[in-house]
Amino acid sequence: MHQLTPIPHQVPSIIIGRNQNPWLEVDLNLISQASKPGVLQQIDLVRRRSGGGTVFHDEGNVNWTVIYPSADFTRDKHAEMIVRALRGCGVERARVNERHDIVLDQGDRKADSDPKDTHTSPYTASSDSAARPLKVSGSAYKLTRGRALHHGTCLLSSPNLKFISQCLHSPARPYIKARGVESVSSPVTNIALSNEHFISAVQDQFSKMYDHDRGVEAMPFNDELLEVTEIKRGYEELQSLEWTYLQTPQFTLANSNEVSRPVNIDLTVRHGVVTDASIAPTASDPSLQERTSLNENLVGLTLHKVTNWQDELSDSLKALPSEEGRRFVVDWLSKMLPSIPRSGK
Amino acid sequence: MSGAFAGRALKHGMDAVSRCSRPQFQRLRTQKPAFKPAVRSFTASTRAWEKKYTEDHEWIELSSDGKTGTIGISTYAAKALGDVVFVELPTLDLEVSAGDSIGAVESVKSASDIMTPVSGKIVEANSVLEDTPGKINKSPEGDGWLAKIEMSDAKEVEKLMDADGYRKFTEEADGH
Repeated sequence: MHQLTPIPHQVPSIIIGRNQNPWLEVDLNLISQASKPGVLQQIDLVRRRSGGGTVFHDEGNVNWTVIYPSADFTRDKHAEMIVRALRGCGVERARVNERHDIVLDQGDRKADSDPKDTHTSPYTASSDSAARPLKVSGSAYKLTRGRALHHGTCLLSSPNLKFISQCLHSPARPYIKARGVESVSSPVTNIALSNEHFISAVQDQFSKMYDHDRGVEAMPFNDELLEVTEIKRGYEELQSLEWTYLQTPQFTLANSNEVSRPVNIDLTVRHGVVTDASIAPTASDPSLQERTSLNENLVGLTLHKVTNWQDELSDSLKALPSEEGRRFVVDWLSKMLPSIPRSGK
Repeated sequence: MSGAFAGRALKHGMDAVSRCSRPQFQRLRTQKPAFKPAVRSFTASTRAWEKKYTEDHEWIELSSDGKTGTIGISTYAAKALGDVVFVELPTLDLEVSAGDSIGAVESVKSASDIMTPVSGKIVEANSVLEDTPGKINKSPEGDGWLAKIEMSDAKEVEKLMDADGYRKFTEEADGH
């Protein structure tokens, strides 16, 4: 049984990999602002089940998914299927690269390459060439008992290419050391195809690949699927803030590489909860008692539930001797760990 | 149905990762497991201590009292997965049935579940893997073990493949 699912996207969304850190990968300030009425547009943030890095979806992107027996798993076979579909639409530059992504080559046209070779195009330049290929589709995989899932994005006509890179640039990046998986950023471009054209080309290639003589029978992707208990449970889990934030691999957030800082801040966060904290003035040493009171207040804190750092720290901030220090701590934490919107989920 | 990393998946995975040549890999694969119980040849019952394998490419090795087992992924699976960059360990005291997921590894954009070969209760997780996930590639059937389980039914181990049976299983999967 092989299943192919094109999934439409209405709301622009950022999708992080299974073992990624939202505070590190995403500018959560944009997520929170965008959800306020009248400010930009709503952006959803989701943690997916497959591995890999962070991607952006919007209405100019089509996400494709193939589920098939894990005994037949290879990382490239369905990326190759997508390249065949793109070439069928006249996109000769498309090929699968060594990271299992699909890129459009930007080199000068050379002698025709073998059209069946999905890993080389007539425009493939040498790796040291300035004409870097541009990424149009990224792959991710999930393997479990008996089943393999391979899905990928495909940038066709996104109006948000600049905005994408803005969203994926977190202010906390210089201060976070994280276990898990960091994204590898690549220059991207649009293919300039309509969603319908791409979807029907992929369906054709899928039919050819699996010898479905009568073509692919399209299954509606709608709320009826939620009548299946397991699907409903998974669907609800994926939408929960707990799944998005508490599944974050352990990380530390520390400002020790910030040149001018009146206060040293060092937090350790496991499963989205602060497990160790140290906040102390850099200039003068406060008494151990004072430091303890502030740090104890932070340990046990669930980061994504903090809506206002001033309120959260409140009385314990008094352990810091200077007003400058107190303001610094509140401002810095508010910027690095902004409040997460509850609405729209 | 064969397992999560089975069959041709492994062959193609190896091609893509090319961590070692195929002849090298075949030599590696035919090596006997490093651990051999000292009393193995004395009686037939000690055969239960042998390392056993699942079709999902996990292994289990029983302790000398036969009550607990150490679980990991096979050398074959580790090579196919490629560089492991993150390991999700099971929580202690987790009660599981054979085939349940007890953790996961991420490698080359793949999140792969690890299934327990037997039923029981998780009594230890190899926390070294949290900071050094690459240990799974360096020593998948030794220091890169994943968890220890207190078995609820020791008979479940008997249904699993021994090293020889597993080698044949992987060769057949590669061959088709």
